Amino acid sequence: MTSSIRVGFIPLIDAAIPIAARECGFAEREGLQIELVRETSWANIRDKLIHGLFDASHMLAPLAVATSLGIGNAKVPLSVPFGLNANGNCITLAARLYRALEEVLGHAPRDPRQSAQALKRVIDRRKANGDPPITFGVVFPFSVHAIIVRHWLRLGGIDPHNDVQFQVVPPPFMVARLSEGEIEGCCVGEPWNSRAVESGVGSIVVFGSEISRCAPDKVLALRNETVVENPESIHRLLRTYQLAARWCQDSSNHANLANMLAQPEYLNVAPKTVLNALSGSLAVNRTEARSASDFLVFQGDGINWPDPRKARWLYAEIASGLRRPLDEGQAQAAAAVFRPDVFDAATGNNALPEAQDPIGLHFGPAFDASDLKAYVDALARG
Amino acid sequence: MMDQPSILIIDENHARAAIIQDGLREAGHANVRWLSETGNLLKQIAKIDPDVIVIDLESPNRDVLEQMFQVSRLVKRPVAMFVDQSDSASIREAMMAGVSAYVVDGLRKDRVKHILDMCVQRFDVFSRLTEELHEAKTALADRKVIERAKGILMEAKSLNEQEAYVLMRKTAMDQKRRLIEVARAIVLAESMLK
Repeated sequence: MTSSIRVGFIPLIDAAIPIAARECGFAEREGLQIELVRETSWANIRDKLIHGLFDASHMLAPLAVATSLGIGNAKVPLSVPFGLNANGNCITLAARLYRALEEVLGHAPRDPRQSAQALKRVIDRRKANGDPPITFGVVFPFSVHAIIVRHWLRLGGIDPHNDVQFQVVPPPFMVARLSEGEIEGCCVGEPWNSRAVESGVGSIVVFGSEISRCAPDKVLALRNETVVENPESIHRLLRTYQLAARWCQDSSNHANLANMLAQPEYLNVAPKTVLNALSGSLAVNRTEARSASDFLVFQGDGINWPDPRKARWLYAEIASGLRRPLDEGQAQAAAAVFRPDVFDAATGNNALPEAQDPIGLHFGPAFDASDLKAYVDALARG
Repeated sequence: MMDQPSILIIDENHARAAIIQDGLREAGHANVRWLSETGNLLKQIAKIDPDVIVIDLESPNRDVLEQMFQVSRLVKRPVAMFVDQSDSASIREAMMAGVSAYVVDGLRKDRVKHILDMCVQRFDVFSRLTEELHEAKTALADRKVIERAKGILMEAKSLNEQEAYVLMRKTAMDQKRRLIEVARAIVLAESMLK
């Protein structure tokens, strides 16, 4: 018997798993029909999921947690039984600000610490001159993008709450806002950073993979009742996603995957653009390119397994971002959003995650999921 | 006039925005404004300070509005999404029509409902108009292809117009295909044989 599932997605490279699940026939093999519906905003994705117009969604991991806790604009408990990717985003600075960093350093910034420290000096100088603060564009109030920028700023001794401002900018408008000066930096996925570099509007300073190794970026989100009411369909969906994740991670499939995602009904961009992000090799400014093997990761390193410690980390980051006191009840509710029980039941997995550290931050305080307060306090100290 | 809620429409589609504005004005809402330029959106909204914001779902700018729930520095009054989240039927109806609305806390619910109903209605009208236009365009294009195919048959087989048409229709019926499909096949074949 074939069952059918309606899945909402945003046209991004990290929608690769749901798209490949359908296009490569993995879903068909599981007797599942996936209907993919393209959306234009995360707010639409959330609202259509919680009001039943979608059965499942490609979703920002922090949005799934925030929605479940009633932080922001809705309160509906969601289930996350599968992580779709880690990394894939960049921090890009407007050309003028990037030049200011180069002037401070005497050369192009070479690593995140160096660029953040240079930015700190630029910010101090601007403050002394009475200039307005720098505004960073991020894709949503609750996003790994916002978290990454805050970590990077702290690396240079910049207070993310008082020294800079944040502004939500939908990815398709990011380059224009950088060019108009409404924002001077941003954190966004591909192809938007490359667009900024190609058009001379900005330069990439940081790959998200330089901040953390395996922070959850996008996830599969469901309504809780869907998990209860249709366990068999959801199990099929998870097995399908697992196959698709393996296929997407295999670099010998990247040329095919790039062509698939590039199609008009999905991302509607040039295949080459997609391939660059898949291979992790990007032009970062007019003269230099940089590459990272973990620029965008679909499988491995415990990425697909919905580790409740990751959900606790997301909650700690959301609370810290809003400067709200931690609440252990909320932390537990956040942990319950990630559903390893559903993943294990569907895939027959019985292994616990190997990683001691489920986030793999390269800088800043160590994360211990059993002591969120120590982590958040350390973040606040900068 | 003091208690006329101010309504802000955010829609990059000029025609649709005009249809909604007209609908609201006809329903007695005089205080309606429209934004199509969405740069510095939150600052523009703060300046206008509306009671109700209506935005189309095609716009990625819905995510910008999400920030209003966190940033109270920019927007003076707290904003909640219409309607209360328990009224799922209304929200579904609005989302299916392609519109969502945000409302300032404290505005009477029945008045907001009236405004949203009007917007949903007008979004539906616009969708219907767009669909009808699309159908009309398709019909016109199909007719051109059929005329062209008829011409090709007339020339190739020395038929008159009526005979060419009858031949196409008979072929379509025999093959269980639509007339337009047969016509397209003729036009395609001719272009390849040229």
